[in-house]
Amino acid sequence: PPPVSLSSLHVDDLRVDGRGCEDYRHMEIETDVVSNTDGSAKVSLGHTDILVGIKAEIGKPRPMVPDEGYLEFFVDCSANATPEFEGRGGEELGVELSNTLYKVFNNRHSLDLRSLCICPGEHCWVLYVDVLLLQCDGNLFDAMSIAIKAALFNTRIPKVHISEDEEGVKEIELSDDPYDCMRLNVENVPCIVTLCKIAHRHVVDATLQEKACSVASLLISVTHKGMVTCVRKLGRGSLDPDSIFEMTETGKRVGKALHAPLMELLQKEESLGKKRQKVGFLA
Amino acid sequence: MLKSKTFVKKTRAGGVMKVVREHYLRDDIWCGSEVCTECKDGAPVLQQDARVESDLCAYPHYLIPDTNVVLHQIDILEDPLIRNVIILQTVLQEVRHRSPPVYKRIKDATHEKEKHFYTFTNEHHRQTFIEREQGESINDRNDRAIRVAAKWYTEHLNKAPSVGELKVVLLTNDRANRDKAEQNGLLAYRCEEYIKSLTGNPELVDRLALTSDDQNEITGSKLLFPEHLPLSRIQAGIKSGTFLQGTFRASRDNYLEATVFVQREGDDSTEVLLQGLQNLNRAVHQDVVAVELFPKEQWVAPSSVVLQDDRPSDKETEEEEAEKKLESPVLDPSRLKPTGRVVGIIKRNWRPFCGMLNQSQIKEATRHLFTPADRRIPRIRIETRQASTLVGQRIIVAIDGWPRNSRYPNGHFVRNLGGAGDKDTETEVLLLEHDVPHQPFSQAVLSFLPKMPWGITEEDLKVRADLRHLCVCSVDPPGCTDIDDALHCRELENGNLEVGVHIADVSHFIRPGNALDQEAASRGTTVYLCGKRIDMVPELLSSNLCSLRSNVERLAFSCIWEMNHKAEILNTRFTKSIINSKASLTYAEAQMRIDDASMNDDITKSLRGLNTLAKILKGQRIAKGALTLSSPEVRFHMDSETHDPIDLQTKELKDTNSMVEEFMLLANISVAQKIYEEFSECALLRKHPAPPPSNYDILIKAAKSRELEIRIDSAKALADSLNEAVLEDFPYFNTLLRILATRCMMQAVYFCSGMDSDFHHYGLASPIYTHFTSPIRRYSDIIVHRLLAVAINADSTYPDLMDKHKQSSLCNNLNYRHKMAQYAQRASVAFHTQLFFKNKGILNEEGFILFVRKNAIIILIPKFGLEGTVFFENNDKPGPRLNFDSEGPTLTVEDQHTFHIFDRVKVTISLDASNIQHQKIRMALVEPVIPGVSVALPEPEPEAKKLKLDR
Repeated sequence: PPPVSLSSLHVDDLRVDGRGCEDYRHMEIETDVVSNTDGSAKVSLGHTDILVGIKAEIGKPRPMVPDEGYLEFFVDCSANATPEFEGRGGEELGVELSNTLYKVFNNRHSLDLRSLCICPGEHCWVLYVDVLLLQCDGNLFDAMSIAIKAALFNTRIPKVHISEDEEGVKEIELSDDPYDCMRLNVENVPCIVTLCKIAHRHVVDATLQEKACSVASLLISVTHKGMVTCVRKLGRGSLDPDSIFEMTETGKRVGKALHAPLMELLQKEESLGKKRQKVGFLA
Repeated sequence: MLKSKTFVKKTRAGGVMKVVREHYLRDDIWCGSEVCTECKDGAPVLQQDARVESDLCAYPHYLIPDTNVVLHQIDILEDPLIRNVIILQTVLQEVRHRSPPVYKRIKDATHEKEKHFYTFTNEHHRQTFIEREQGESINDRNDRAIRVAAKWYTEHLNKAPSVGELKVVLLTNDRANRDKAEQNGLLAYRCEEYIKSLTGNPELVDRLALTSDDQNEITGSKLLFPEHLPLSRIQAGIKSGTFLQGTFRASRDNYLEATVFVQREGDDSTEVLLQGLQNLNRAVHQDVVAVELFPKEQWVAPSSVVLQDDRPSDKETEEEEAEKKLESPVLDPSRLKPTGRVVGIIKRNWRPFCGMLNQSQIKEATRHLFTPADRRIPRIRIETRQASTLVGQRIIVAIDGWPRNSRYPNGHFVRNLGGAGDKDTETEVLLLEHDVPHQPFSQAVLSFLPKMPWGITEEDLKVRADLRHLCVCSVDPPGCTDIDDALHCRELENGNLEVGVHIADVSHFIRPGNALDQEAASRGTTVYLCGKRIDMVPELLSSNLCSLRSNVERLAFSCIWEMNHKAEILNTRFTKSIINSKASLTYAEAQMRIDDASMNDDITKSLRGLNTLAKILKGQRIAKGALTLSSPEVRFHMDSETHDPIDLQTKELKDTNSMVEEFMLLANISVAQKIYEEFSECALLRKHPAPPPSNYDILIKAAKSRELEIRIDSAKALADSLNEAVLEDFPYFNTLLRILATRCMMQAVYFCSGMDSDFHHYGLASPIYTHFTSPIRRYSDIIVHRLLAVAINADSTYPDLMDKHKQSSLCNNLNYRHKMAQYAQRASVAFHTQLFFKNKGILNEEGFILFVRKNAIIILIPKFGLEGTVFFENNDKPGPRLNFDSEGPTLTVEDQHTFHIFDRVKVTISLDASNIQHQKIRMALVEPVIPGVSVALPEPEPEAKKLKLDR
């Protein structure tokens, strides 16, 4: 029952499932799981299960930033994830989630958007990031952000070059070698750490139960250098300035620590190349 | 095991798309060899003793050709000597991609049992599938796949206990590939090397295609042609509009002239004129080329000179002279045509060409020129050691390439068809030249025929209207065995008439999508030659089960009208039915019954009713502006044993011809309305566009020369003015005008209603039209039957029927086949005319001038429906003074006589066999007499011969 766990949390830095306040649940990451995307990753965090697929398409740059490409987000809250999403139940949440993701990721500090430019003012790459919630067991944002970072790492955009004829008519030409592609620099892509305020303490990676006990939570996106790029408060309750400060500090610490092992893992996976045994969805 | 294949491609909208295909690998693909005990192949294709006489490979061996060998040396591979060949799937896919005709040929070869060709699906074999590696081009990957498969075969066969000396030999002309193969321990040879080693069959060497390696030998000589631009520059040029893309059409009459037909978006299309060898720049008839337009000052008019490239060798001085002949000051700027030059070839459309060899004067020479039967194709240089046996034979030659330093393209010998002038050979030639599919039907096609004995079942009776009691009869030309249509007419109780048109229900027997259907769709039409018929569907259907013969029960698709006595349709009904025709009549028999007042049986009454209605219908149609045109048609009387023509007769039309025709037209129009109403997007219809007014120029000029006016503002005006254009003292004049008018017309074409907006049929003056009444001999009618059957819920539909794009491409094929069938038919008539005149010696006949050209007049002999040219120029002697006026048009010879269109002349007709390939009817002028030009009347000796023949 909650009172017991709350007190133990309070006293012993011990949570219902035996984790400490800054511990994540068991996490599994696999990239290149959907072959008809340009980049994909599947992340499971506890029972939360998230699939991200990225499709690169040629589009027109935004007029304000003619030399940059951009990202588009769509979060699909499938009814598989939780019965609440049935019908149009997940729509609102989906829009909210994708707006947040847009804020966190679509800026030149997290991704070099200029590398997505093909021809200033005319053509750029648009990365359509589709997030599919397969199973909801709390802490969607953190899992999503990790999956997106992994999928961006995995993304291979076909190399194109612009040819120009005598009249100056430009044409996009595609390399016929499928290995000839561009990779994205994901070094600065942030991860999201959501901290839930429960009683006087705050925890990372809250389960659904813990979330039910929390008054409010704070979403912090942190780069590998520990820089905070976005902070949002979620939930109905209020947070006093002290705890916001405290929580931000925790978030920075936890977030910074998250990047290195993640990158290491992704690189290790890639080095396996074709020999890697794919797990996919049947594991 | 599942693999996926990934590739990216550009979409039409300019985007980039990633495509992923699943690819399954299996381990139950057999090697197909008799020696192998490991594979569980029930009927192995490759023989154990695969031995051919070769001093390179003395051991038994299997051949594995690479893609380029299959593409270029298909003629060799088709030779019966070449057996035990493994065709890899990699090769097959590449060939399919690069040349569909070669693909079809290699597929046919693999189906032939005696060839022992085995298709090995290496791309799906677990041990031979390879993935493309980083930095590897697709060609390199395919070459590697071929080597991996060859290596696998070598190792796999070595495991067999009874392998003996059996080896696998890779044939490739690519040096890098060969080197790599040898490093892998494979046996690899160049194709030429291997073929030359076949000591038992030296003649095969002739059929080797010359590859670029061999052509390099002669680069010392002068470059004759400008270089072709690379494809990338052509594409950029087309995009920017500096070049135009179009189909190259060589002129039949003048080898230095051609046009390029440029199709632009919408209906806007133009023709670009090309003159001179340099500007033609090695393009061959039907190639898709890129042309560059000259500035307007350099535009020229099409020349009206007839020029044939028949000089013995390439003397350039003559060439220049000939080119000069083209240049003539043109006074009338409206005759100038957009002119340009070929800058590059987008797609070659070379096919094997029929023709004959011109033996080189030098006795031991191995290089000879080959003259194709089609005048639009340039002569081809081939290498052969058997020239002396090939002279006088019709042979097939394929073009391999046309280097810049060669006046003629290079090619190789493919096949000998037989002696020139021989009837079977010539028929084969004209079928091949007109791309008429005429092979016997394959087993796969025949397997879809109904099992005999066939009869009407209970099931049929349940779903069809039983019209067996009606007095139905058919009226056709004599000797017709594929009876498509039958008719009936009877009086109803309410005093109205019931008229039925019953069409053979071919779509009942030919089900959509099966091999029989595909073959019929590809053939498109039955081709009627003199004394020979090339069926669209197997004979069992065409002459038996579908043919509406008398006194047998047959399935039909009926169109039944209720009409009043004014031939107004009160209602129309379509139904699948069962009929039992009471009589199969000829036109003459039917006419006799109608005319014979003593006959009053049901059939005759029915015929009279039909005849009366037909006359009213025809009257109505003509009132609406339908055209009655004329073309001289001839019938041959054939000797029943030799099948040689013994007499010629122009076709005669009887009332009953037009009676049947009227009801067929009516049925076609009714069906067209119905299917268009039901399927506005995918109805297969037939239209006949109104010709552009400029087409009529020659007709108007011709009429004007006799002070008559032809109005062309509408079909009705044209029909009326043609009716009025009668000269009292010149009864044949009207027919001549109508013949000329026919030549002004456009081709009627099939189209899909969803792809076009103009449906009008100009010649029949009908707003909508289709073909419904001859499904035995036209595939279009089968589709129309299917559409109509769906419309009346008599049959189920299928996806392709409702797909307007698929239907549109089907229409293109049908239009092409119909055109070719027509040409083949004409060529057959021409050949038989020649045979006829060969037996007649020299004849003296009266004729009329049909066209006046710059150096010739074209004459029509009404008696034989024969057209011929009288040339006023000869290569060997100086020609007479000629004065051509394009306004008339008139031609004045030696300032003595001026020829006008339609002038009556007398000519001698004889067969000119001096050029055995193009035997032609030679006409020489007898009257009017022009000294030095006309010839004297021949001796009356031929008459005696004629009597003998007529016995």
